Amino acid sequence: MDRRAFVKQTLGASIAFGAYMKAGKVFGAFSDTVLPYDLVAVKGGEPGAMFDQGINALGGMKAFVKKGDKVVVKPNIGWDVSPDRAGNTNPQLVARIIEHCFNAGAKQVSVVDHTCDQWQRCYSNSGIQKAASEAGAKVVPGASASYYHDVKVPHGKSLTSTQEHEVILDADVFINVPILKNHSGPRLTMAMKNLMGNVWDRGYWHRTDLDQCIADFATYRKPALNVLDAYYVMKQNGPRGISVGDLVEMKSQVISTDIVAIDVAGAKLFGMDPSSVRYLKTAAEMKIGRADIENLRIKRISL
Amino acid sequence: MTRQFWKKIKQVRVVTSLVFFGAFTLLFLDAWHLVPRSITTALTSLQLVPSLLKVAMVGGAVTAIGLMFVIITTLILGRIYCSTICPLGILQDFMIRFARKLNRRKRFKYSKAPQWLHYSVLALSVLLLLLGSSMLIGDLLEPFSNFGRIVNAFALPAVVLSNNTASDLLARFGLYFLYTVPLHPEGVGALSLGLLFFATIGYMSMSEGRLFCNTFCPAGAILSLLSRVSLFKLAINKDSCNDCGACDKVCKAQCIDSRSKEIDFSACVGCFNCLRSCPEDAIQYERRGLPDKHPLRVEFNQGRRDFFRNVTVPTATLLLAPGLVQGGSALTGETKPITPPGSIGIRHFTSVCTACHLCVTACPTGVLQPTFMQYGLSGMFQPKMDYSVNYCNYDCVICGEVCPTGAIVPLDVPAKKLVQIGKSTFNKDDCVVVSKKKDCAACSEHCPTKAVHTVPYENGLFLPEIDNELCIGCGACEHACPVTPKKAITVVSNQVHLKAKKPKPEKAKAPVPDTTGDFPF
Repeated sequence: MDRRAFVKQTLGASIAFGAYMKAGKVFGAFSDTVLPYDLVAVKGGEPGAMFDQGINALGGMKAFVKKGDKVVVKPNIGWDVSPDRAGNTNPQLVARIIEHCFNAGAKQVSVVDHTCDQWQRCYSNSGIQKAASEAGAKVVPGASASYYHDVKVPHGKSLTSTQEHEVILDADVFINVPILKNHSGPRLTMAMKNLMGNVWDRGYWHRTDLDQCIADFATYRKPALNVLDAYYVMKQNGPRGISVGDLVEMKSQVISTDIVAIDVAGAKLFGMDPSSVRYLKTAAEMKIGRADIENLRIKRISL
Repeated sequence: MTRQFWKKIKQVRVVTSLVFFGAFTLLFLDAWHLVPRSITTALTSLQLVPSLLKVAMVGGAVTAIGLMFVIITTLILGRIYCSTICPLGILQDFMIRFARKLNRRKRFKYSKAPQWLHYSVLALSVLLLLLGSSMLIGDLLEPFSNFGRIVNAFALPAVVLSNNTASDLLARFGLYFLYTVPLHPEGVGALSLGLLFFATIGYMSMSEGRLFCNTFCPAGAILSLLSRVSLFKLAINKDSCNDCGACDKVCKAQCIDSRSKEIDFSACVGCFNCLRSCPEDAIQYERRGLPDKHPLRVEFNQGRRDFFRNVTVPTATLLLAPGLVQGGSALTGETKPITPPGSIGIRHFTSVCTACHLCVTACPTGVLQPTFMQYGLSGMFQPKMDYSVNYCNYDCVICGEVCPTGAIVPLDVPAKKLVQIGKSTFNKDDCVVVSKKKDCAACSEHCPTKAVHTVPYENGLFLPEIDNELCIGCGACEHACPVTPKKAITVVSNQVHLKAKKPKPEKAKAPVPDTTGDFPF
């Protein structure tokens, strides 16, 4: 039995979930759960403390993770840079999210990213490997095509199929934990752009139509939860950055189940007009989520 | 001394050789980067030719100590190096053992080593080195490098494939402690030549023992010269010898003439087989202050003469012919290989590198890949930066740390970040932004110095632009460029490495509206 067949068989549940998802439901979250807010914005605290408050406002991690669930937490671990350079998601935030997942009864929490720089150096120098392992998560490699399996993106326009990491395919709950940064191409990298680390062949996205592919992939699976790290924000020379001079300390965080809404909020935090971010505009037009965040129920918390 | 003692000394030699053989094999199989680099340096410092080159080129205390150790032990006990430290020597011993298993009656027979040839090869190798090519002393004949290439080309793929099979299997059960290691098999040319070398040395050792070590090996030649004046030498005690000839038959170096009861110690590889074989304990180390009595003799046995004619000459022709043809054109035009940071430039690199491929195994990204003839004849098999495989990690200096010869001079991280090994060139018309009018920025996002950055283009798109003063030639842009088959951004080699300008950090401005107040939404 080849690996793909194996994954397909043993992950029947996931595939059923896939069909469920196509109906536009949120993967992993309970469809009947009515969350008190569409978006929570927190500022003024340490990354972990801000998450405690933010998730609390949404009813705690129990609203997203059931007992016995397999969870994947997907930070941005793209670059071989130290945490003070904020090229990758804050390791304390990643650790705190993992702790909340276990407290909610998760059976297993995995952390994975398809990195840009050499993966072991990224995992290690980002501080995420250590923080995540200490929090009890399994840190999974993502640097080989053998871990990725073909998936269809039925609602995609430019991206109709891709390959996703098996540990994400196998997960009950997928939590997207991007960091807010400047980007030399699509201007900003936030929640939608972070999902590029779920797939193997990013070259196809880049040479086809990057903005459309980013939007397309957001139709494939909406994360159960998105947590946008905006503690240090890379304002220039992104997404890798060249020095700590590229950063502004914003001590902020946004949490939402809506991947478009959170990116709109992120763009505004960054000081950019969300409609100038092409993939965000496309995603709003495709009605992947709500760009009109002024009409959403927003909880604002200052620590 | 008792017979037990001499038996033991052979055992000590065997155990030592196995330890070194295992250690050196592990170095070349370490695609997991588990061996600490201090251990790598300590081990490779014991390799004669690489350490001689490194001490001459860059110095280094550990290397100098290793080199002194080898020289001093040889000056005391002769070429014990050849049967303990040299991994290619031990590999030949395995093959000799294998030959004995195949043919239990396999016996060696005294045969005067062709030392005039051996020393001539060394002289020629040194001459070529002085003329700027490590081709003979390194790439073709140096034992450590040949061993490294054999392990890298043939054993490493087998180990990596086993690992990957196991890690695939474990991944089915959600276990990821073994992970997939990328495998980059060498090209057909390099592999065939490697196989040819492997077969040649295998044949030589299985039929004539340590013939390679006493004919071609530059380390063997240097040590042979040193052992001529060594303090202690193995000799046959003519009074206790009973003329049984047992020593002669087990001598891999074929340097014991049991009839005249003489040992040509300059050809002796210090395996101690003779010590164990002698029923009378007639062979022992003796203190000899005087130079070796054996003058250089121009003598050949017919078997060897045939061997050289039938094997060596065609091999050399095969090696040299394509090299001479390709070599002339390889270093001209746009196809010049890019050499790793620390290698100063193509000339320094190709004249010092012995193509051991230790850096190829040690490179965490795999950007260092072996070549075949791309550097021309004088740089056969030497590694280059291959941006089709990966790019050079900005904060990494491992290749210089492990390089045993000084071909890649060790650099600290801040210095490395300013070494420009090549320059980016941008072919605008092929770029996605121009040809498709779509966002891409794969090149600029990967660029660690922002030499490649983007500037506003039509319709709110951003187009790559290069500041070559900042470019270090790491290849991140070229590797990331998604355009196929010809990349829109490529790095062109600097034949002599230059110094890049340091990226100037500018303080980022806080967003407007200021986020110290309310949320902007």
